[in-house]
Amino acid sequence: MQKTVKVRVTRLVLDTYLLKYYNKRKTYFAHDALEQCTVGDVVLLKALPERRTKHVTHELAEVVYKVGNVVDPLTGKRVAAYQYLEPLSDPAELSAERLTEKIQQLNLTATATPSH
Amino acid sequence: MPMKGRFPIRRTLEYLQKGEVVFKNSVKIMTVNYNTQGELSEGARKFVFFNVPQIQYKNPWVQIMMFKNMTPSPFIRFYLDDGQQVLVDTEGKDYREITQHIKKIMGKTPEVLQAEALAKMVASNPANFGPKKYCLKECMCEVEGQVPCPGVVPLPKEMTGKWRAQMRAAED
Repeated sequence: MQKTVKVRVTRLVLDTYLLKYYNKRKTYFAHDALEQCTVGDVVLLKALPERRTKHVTHELAEVVYKVGNVVDPLTGKRVAAYQYLEPLSDPAELSAERLTEKIQQLNLTATATPSH
Repeated sequence: MPMKGRFPIRRTLEYLQKGEVVFKNSVKIMTVNYNTQGELSEGARKFVFFNVPQIQYKNPWVQIMMFKNMTPSPFIRFYLDDGQQVLVDTEGKDYREITQHIKKIMGKTPEVLQAEALAKMVASNPANFGPKKYCLKECMCEVEGQVPCPGVVPLPKEMTGKWRAQMRAAED
């Protein structure tokens, strides 16, 4: 299959007797023009306005998390489960002069604050 | 069915219906990234345990997905209709704070909800009788306090058309 990806989509469905939500799987075929996906990627699909072929009804909107190369959206750094693969702050920024500059910019004074 | 498991109250209809967050129509997908270990994800874990069933019950057409242990920091992401994405950082927050924040940014306001409830009430007018699909009752005999259906309980003699016709004939 060229330029097509098989995507498993899970939605939460309520079991009527147990009243608990379980993941229900459904597979969709999506059109991927650039063939950039591999097995294990988390992907965002967008419904096509009209059916492209008998089975392909959606297209790839974007790759959300690439397998092995997950990027944390909060910091923008590469990440692996519990750790950051890239250092969070630039090592040059942590030198003594830079830190003293930053502290001086904050303009802290030792006045006593009124207690509650 | 006995209440089995931790916090089985989460599995009652009353608890599910008490959910406060109703998303705006533009929200299509909600994604929760959290970790199974660690203090920082504690709020997100509790949010998923207690509040996600309520949210899904109130918003049956929103797709909710959970991702575990992918990034060191927990967050929630919303994917809207027009392709926009909203990122909510939940690191170190309490699950109640998270729900309130989400209600504020992505939820329908109480006024909008009231207006919708009113519109739904207008559609069902108790004064109309007809098929079950369109009206509440099919016949006046179904209303409590009214004359019961003569097909079930025979009418008193004085109310039948036959008796009234006989009386009218006797007078003449």
